[in-house]
Amino acid sequence: MWRDTSSALKALTSSHSLPATMSLALRFVFALLAVAAAHAASLSIASPRFTITAPDASQLRSQQLSLTEKPDALTLGQADVLKLTFQVVEQEEGKGVQPHQTFLRFHDEVTGEEGVQPVRVTPGGKAKFELNMARPPTSLPPTTTNPLKVSLILGSFTHSPAQYELFDLYVPASQSPPAHPDEAAFAPRPEITHTFRPEQRIPAKAVSAFFAAFVFWPWLVLVGFWFEISPRVPHLFSPHTLPFTVSLAAFEVLLFWYWVDLRLGQVLLYGGILAVPTAFAGKQALAKASERRLGRK
Amino acid sequence: MSTWSVARWLQLIQHWQLRKRCLHSSAMVSPWRFLSFLGFAAAALAKSSTGNSVLVVLDPGSSRDNFSRFFDGLEARGYELTFRTPKDAHPAVIEHDHPEYSHVILFAPESKTYSSDITPQSLVTLLSKNTNLLIAVSPKATPLTSLAAEFSLILPPPGTPLVSHFPERDTPATVIPVDVSPSNPVLSGSLPPVWFSGVPFAFNSNPHIVPILNAPPQSFAADSDADSGADAVVEAADKGGEGLWAGSSLGLVAGFQTLGGGRATWVGGVDLFSDEYAQKPTLDGNKPGNEQFAADVAAWTFQETGVLRVDGSTHHHVNETTPRDRYTINDRVTYTLRVSKYNPTSAEWEPYSGIDGMQLEFTMLDPHIRTALQPTPGVPGEYSLTFRVPDRHGVFKFNVDYKRKGWSYLQSTTVVPVVPPRHDEYPRFLSPAWPYYAGAISTSAAFLAFCALWLAGDSAEPKKSKSTKSD
Repeated sequence: MWRDTSSALKALTSSHSLPATMSLALRFVFALLAVAAAHAASLSIASPRFTITAPDASQLRSQQLSLTEKPDALTLGQADVLKLTFQVVEQEEGKGVQPHQTFLRFHDEVTGEEGVQPVRVTPGGKAKFELNMARPPTSLPPTTTNPLKVSLILGSFTHSPAQYELFDLYVPASQSPPAHPDEAAFAPRPEITHTFRPEQRIPAKAVSAFFAAFVFWPWLVLVGFWFEISPRVPHLFSPHTLPFTVSLAAFEVLLFWYWVDLRLGQVLLYGGILAVPTAFAGKQALAKASERRLGRK
Repeated sequence: MSTWSVARWLQLIQHWQLRKRCLHSSAMVSPWRFLSFLGFAAAALAKSSTGNSVLVVLDPGSSRDNFSRFFDGLEARGYELTFRTPKDAHPAVIEHDHPEYSHVILFAPESKTYSSDITPQSLVTLLSKNTNLLIAVSPKATPLTSLAAEFSLILPPPGTPLVSHFPERDTPATVIPVDVSPSNPVLSGSLPPVWFSGVPFAFNSNPHIVPILNAPPQSFAADSDADSGADAVVEAADKGGEGLWAGSSLGLVAGFQTLGGGRATWVGGVDLFSDEYAQKPTLDGNKPGNEQFAADVAAWTFQETGVLRVDGSTHHHVNETTPRDRYTINDRVTYTLRVSKYNPTSAEWEPYSGIDGMQLEFTMLDPHIRTALQPTPGVPGEYSLTFRVPDRHGVFKFNVDYKRKGWSYLQSTTVVPVVPPRHDEYPRFLSPAWPYYAGAISTSAAFLAFCALWLAGDSAEPKKSKSTKSD
C-alpha cells in the first residue's frame, strides 16, 4: 500500500506543481489520478542487443533491438548460441536498477507451450542472457516448427512493471514431451477400418451355363442309340413294376428336396418311411421280372 | 412460494412420478400420494447427483462468516452443511469404512495436524467411494501438501506464495487479479477476473487433471517481498529440480477426476472463496468473478455439472430388434448406446445427445474397427452405429471409452462372440456350380431311366440272351 502512495506523492512532486492552497482532499484525488496515469518510476531497458554465434565462433547476426518494432524473426541452428544483453533502467532517469523480476518468456502461440527463464541482473541493472542450443535450458518449452514469441517481463515492488515483446525465435524442433498413457483417451483417436478379404471371383454366368448344358451331351448319344435300337418297354406301366419305379423316383425327389431345403434328420425320417414300401415294391418287381425272364426259358 | 408456483410444482412432480413409475394414467391420485410427492419435492432440492450432505472442515482461526456468501449459496442450493474443525473427532468423515458425507470441503490450509479420521489415506478412500473433495492449500506445509503430489500437482517449496507485479495496482503483490479462461468446461460462460492469493501448482503430465484457473503469464512463486530478492529468484530457477514456478502453465485451481467418477478440486488459496475477495472491486471498479467462480467450482466438484452416465447399450442384427448371443462374420450389426446428463436445476437425468466425437471400438485384443458413434437423429440420448462385423472370428467387445476434461468418463464394454458361418449358412446355388448340379441331376435321371428300362423292358432277342446264358 505504502509504495503506491509514495509513488503517487513522487508523481505529485515531480510532474505536478500544485498550489499550496489546494486542500488535502483534492491533493489526494490528484494523487490517485496520478497513480492511474503516471509512470513516474517505470522500468525500461537500455541498449538491448542480441548476437547469434555459430559453433565455430563466427558471428551470424548481431543487431540492436528496438522496443517498439520487432526485428525479423531470429533463427537458431542446432548448436548456435544466442546472446542477449541489456540494461534495466528507470525510464526517466536512466539509472540502472535491479528489479525483482527479470524474466524472459518463451511462448509458442500455436501449442500454448510456455517457458519462463529468469535472467540474472547486476545491482547496476546489467543483464546478460545466453541461449546455447547445444545445451538448451530446461525452461525452454518443447518446440515444433512454430516460432517462439520471446518477451521480457520486468516487475518490481517499487517500480511500475513493464513487458516488452522482443522478437520471434525459430529454434530446432525438440522431441515431443512423453505423453501419459491415458492421454490418448481424451481426444478422438484415429479411425480404424477393417480390411476385408476380397470377394471370390466368379466366372461369367454364360460360361457356367454353357458347361452345365455341355454336361448333358451323353443324353444326345443315348437318344441317338434309342432310335437305333428302339427298345420296347411293354411292362413300364405294369402294376408289378410301376410302384417300384415310382418309389425310386420318389427317392430321387427326396434327395433333390434335401439339397434344396431339408435337413438330414428329415431326410432320414422320410427316407426311412419311404424305404418300407420301396422294399416291398422292389421285391415284387424283381420277383416278377425274374419270373418273366426265367419263365421264358 | 406463491400458490401458483406450488400448484405448478405439484403438477411437475406428478408428471415426473407418472413418467418415472409408469403409473396407469387412469389411477386416481390420492391425497396421500400428493404428500409423498411433496417429500419428493424436498429431496429434489438436492442438486447434486451424488447427495446433499457436506462436511466443512474449517481452520479454528477462520470462521464460517468469512465465507458466508459461499456457504449460504450452497445452502440455498439445497446442501446440508456440517461444520467442524480439523481436530474435532466428531463427526467423522468416514465410519466403518462407510463415507458419512457426500462431499467434504477442507478449508483448513493452516492446520498441520488433523484428528485421526482425516488422513491423506482416508481422503483417497473417500474419493474412491465417490465422495467429492474440495481442498484448499496454502504456502504452509501440511499433510495435504504431500497429498497434492498424489494428484500430480507439484507445490512450490513452503512459504513461497504466488507473486505478480502485473497489472500495476494498489494491492500487495501476492493478491492478484486473475483472468478466467472463457472456454473452460467447468465454468459457466465468461467471468470477470477473480482475486486470488495463495500458492500455484505445476502439473505433472496427467490427463485426469482438469485445470480450472491458470496463473497469469507474468506471475511466479517467490518468498521475497523486496527487489533485493531478485537473486534468490534466479538461484531458485538455477537449482534445478522443478525450477521456477512461473508462467501461465501453472494452475491455481485444478480439478481431478478419478476413474470411478469421484472429483477432487484443489485450490491454491482459500481466500478465493472469502467474502472479502467476493466484494473487493476489480481494477476497473467492477464486481469480481469470485462468487460465481466459487459457485461453479463447487457445482462441478459436487457433481452437479458435467455429469454424464451410460444408461445402457444394446446391439442387434441389422434386420432384427433383439440382441443375438453371437454374430457371424460379415454380419451387419447395429450398436446403440444411451447416455443421460444430469440436470441440476430439475435434479433429473435427461437424455443427452450433445456428445461429439464419441467412438466405438470393436475389439478383439486390438480394435479391429474404431469409428464415430453419432447421435441418432430424432431420438434424444441415443447414439448408434451400423457396421459390418470383420471377417475374423473370436470373442469381440463393443467398447466405448469416452473421456473429456471436465466431463464424467463414459465407459461401456459388451462382450459378443463372432463365429464363422454354420455349415448351412454359406451362400448356395452359385453359378460356378451349375455344371456340377447338371451332372448330378443328369446322373440321377439316367439311373431312373436305366431302372425303368431294365424293369419294364422286354428283351428284343430273348433267344440270343437265352443262348448266351445256356452257353
